[in-house]
Amino acid sequence: MAELRGEVFDLGYQRYEGPREGRWRTRYAIFENGLRSMLGIGRGGRSKVLPILLVLAAIAPAAVFVIIVSVIGDDDFIPGPSDYYQIVSLVLFLFSAIMAPELLIPDRRDRVLDLYLVRPLTVTDYLVARVAAFFVIALALVYSGQIVLQIGLILTAASPVDFIQENWLDIPRFILSGALIAFFVTIIPVTVAGFMSRRAIATAFVIGLWLIATLFVGALTSGECYEESTTASGGRIQETTACEPIKGEAAKWVALLDLGNVPMHLNEMIFGEEPDQSDNPTLYEVAKLPAIVPILWYALWIVGPASLLWFRYRKVKI
Amino acid sequence: MPGLLEAKNLTKRYGSTTALESATFEVHEGVTGLLGPNGAGKSTAIKLFLGLIKPTSGSVAVMGLAPYESVTARTRLGYMPEHETLPTNVSASEFLMHMAQVSGLPPGQARTRAADILRHVGLDEERYRPIGGYSTGMRQRVKLAQALVHDPVLVLLDEPTAGLDPEGREEMLDLVNRTAKEFGISIMLSTHLMGDVERTADRVIVLEGGQVTEQGAVDQYTQETETLIIELEEGREAVLSDLIRRGMKVETKDNFLMVENAGEAEYDAIRDAIADAGARLRRLSPTRHTLTDIFRGERADG
Repeated sequence: MAELRGEVFDLGYQRYEGPREGRWRTRYAIFENGLRSMLGIGRGGRSKVLPILLVLAAIAPAAVFVIIVSVIGDDDFIPGPSDYYQIVSLVLFLFSAIMAPELLIPDRRDRVLDLYLVRPLTVTDYLVARVAAFFVIALALVYSGQIVLQIGLILTAASPVDFIQENWLDIPRFILSGALIAFFVTIIPVTVAGFMSRRAIATAFVIGLWLIATLFVGALTSGECYEESTTASGGRIQETTACEPIKGEAAKWVALLDLGNVPMHLNEMIFGEEPDQSDNPTLYEVAKLPAIVPILWYALWIVGPASLLWFRYRKVKI
Repeated sequence: MPGLLEAKNLTKRYGSTTALESATFEVHEGVTGLLGPNGAGKSTAIKLFLGLIKPTSGSVAVMGLAPYESVTARTRLGYMPEHETLPTNVSASEFLMHMAQVSGLPPGQARTRAADILRHVGLDEERYRPIGGYSTGMRQRVKLAQALVHDPVLVLLDEPTAGLDPEGREEMLDLVNRTAKEFGISIMLSTHLMGDVERTADRVIVLEGGQVTEQGAVDQYTQETETLIIELEEGREAVLSDLIRRGMKVETKDNFLMVENAGEAEYDAIRDAIADAGARLRRLSPTRHTLTDIFRGERADG
């Protein structure tokens, strides 16, 4: 039998003669790296836990609804696509608040940004690629639950074909509305992350911003106020007391301040729904304003933070 | 022939502070040392070449392109910063592959280049470990590797031996020499250490207070002197007294004998003195100036 022999040659350093694909490759690399960072791909096991939990949390409500429908065979209590976005919006905001800092803060903290900005890309390229990465993941989260819900409803309907014929308009609606929601939950947390140096603080800031705005507007428009009182043992407790809600013209404008509902006004408009006062007084009040107002208000919350972020990074020193 | 980097009457001011004042110099193929103390304007010059800042006046060109007008000039430049700039939670392999793609290489080629470069800088075995667990020397190598991964024409190294122990410094300087001589990548080495320039550079540009005070071939500054250095294993005292007896001017320095104004006659006399004393010769060679001697002398003259 012939003896197998092998030899290893060290060719030394080889010059690169292959293609150089320019700025689109550069932008795509930053975008792809953003996706990998957020999903923990190429990182240790612990980096993957949180993204997986949050993705499951975003899909879980739809999965639960579908399972219930398939078991009891009644879909009357199942939320429509418009309502579903309201249900999962809390998870989306939470996801954004937790994951957005992961996208920008390590690059500044570890000064990897210095290495990016000496390569053939601009600050704008970097930011657009990073924001796009976050937007794509937010979009996937927004749509995934909705798709699970719709498929489940179609499959459990008595006549799937009739169900599709009756509800086909919901598809372009949830696509458009989902994109607006995803963009909203992208831009604000990413902007906050652009100004913070610690991830926990950035997350707390975003959650705080949403909570304070929601509680503040909720208290003003619902007529529920919180009062602190002292118990007999000297402890302090919070009590919900009735107070005079803001009414009329002022209520409509104050309701705009509920940050979490900024994209939901557009969601209601896209699905052509009339908000119910008892379900969501904020949406109900804003619906009384001319349609252009919530649209401009949404645009302001996109353009404003995006501009702040851009100016912030223009000032980054290497 | 135009230089890879060109600075013409380059001035950069930050408010009332002048970082660079009418600096004119060129960086050609090979290794060029940009030498100067802290605050001399070295980092400002690097930022100008990278197009991160605009000059106040004068011009700067990278391979004929104005770097602050287009990022294209950076496609064939590499940059190794002085400070820490590495992510901690990814492996060197993953990081280098990413940086190659950020420089425009397609994913397949980026993967191959990352593996090749890590092997060349001596991180073949550790390339799948997270960078956060690397030693200072290993991190410096990753920083160099990311500057080389896209095969630049020229790489700007900012204090590459900063923070390294003597052994690490030697290894880094060897790598710098290999990068220039084996890889064929030109280098501008910014440093405040003359020894680093002497060890690696063909040319030196000296910056002080934002102005170019010296520039030229390193050999020009470190050429041979007329002083001979003699190192003997034994018989040193006998050779010393013989040389003095022959009327030669000899000094002792550490364990060496230093013979000044050595010509042919002196070489013959040294040979005879060593033979007569039966001494064992280890080294006989002319000494060279060092950059340190020159700048120390100039400052003393000044």
